[in-house]
Amino acid sequence: MADNKISIGVVSCSGEDCLGGTISRLAVRKMMDEIYPDETVTICLPLYLAGGEEERSFARDYPTIAVDGCSKCCAKRATEKYSGRVSAALDVSEIIGEKKALEGPLSTRDLTDEHREMVDKVTKEVKEKFEEVYNDYLKNTRQ
Amino acid sequence: MPDKVLVIPCSGMGKVYGLIGRESALKTVKDCPNEAKAMCLAYIVTGDEEIKDKIQGKRCITLDGCPAMCAAKSVELAGGIIEEKRRIVDTFRKHKGAKPGTATELTEEGWLIADEIAGEISDRVRELYKEG
Repeated sequence: MADNKISIGVVSCSGEDCLGGTISRLAVRKMMDEIYPDETVTICLPLYLAGGEEERSFARDYPTIAVDGCSKCCAKRATEKYSGRVSAALDVSEIIGEKKALEGPLSTRDLTDEHREMVDKVTKEVKEKFEEVYNDYLKNTRQ
Repeated sequence: MPDKVLVIPCSGMGKVYGLIGRESALKTVKDCPNEAKAMCLAYIVTGDEEIKDKIQGKRCITLDGCPAMCAAKSVELAGGIIEEKRRIVDTFRKHKGAKPGTATELTEEGWLIADEIAGEISDRVRELYKEG
């Protein structure tokens, strides 16, 4: 990635219904804490409804990647309904498998090595999308 | 049999209080499997008819990590009946100086606080369920 400072929005679903939601949240947190802490911004999804214009302009202010735990794709759909088009979207169930993703919700207290591997696998895909979106944005703003 | 009480935490991506709310909700549902059910706030936010049908007129307890009160506001908009709005940050008045962890991971102290909240919410859930 280039040195120019650009922030990319990475938005996770809440994920209280299934394992995929917990994995999605942890992958987004990993982007924020470890992978690209200075370039990653996020928003709590329900702030589109409960917040003000500043929150609703999130996807217009930042190129945004939605990371959803299941095929309902709530983060993507809510972002596009209230804020703006997403630049990319990932569905965790397509990465770890639908059956796994739809297992019951997981407390971070009960994380196993298998779950951590899932988080790493999803984070890798988010990172790839992030770099694509980042480079496209950079290219387009330079033209 | 009465409907299960819906326990709905905020999405809580940015602050430790959000994670504490989420973990408290998950523990409540684990401890009260017959009386409580978690519901995904992101799904409520989409405004889909299917989720509206599931929440309208149902008794709910919301847990919010910050003063934006996203869970409470979203549930109200979707037509849920809020029996209790819990602000996680209020619990910290009893735990001045506590270091609960981060939005990614709780410390031992954070887990104790989450469990304390889950215990209180579980009591409330059982009470509501008994009322029918």
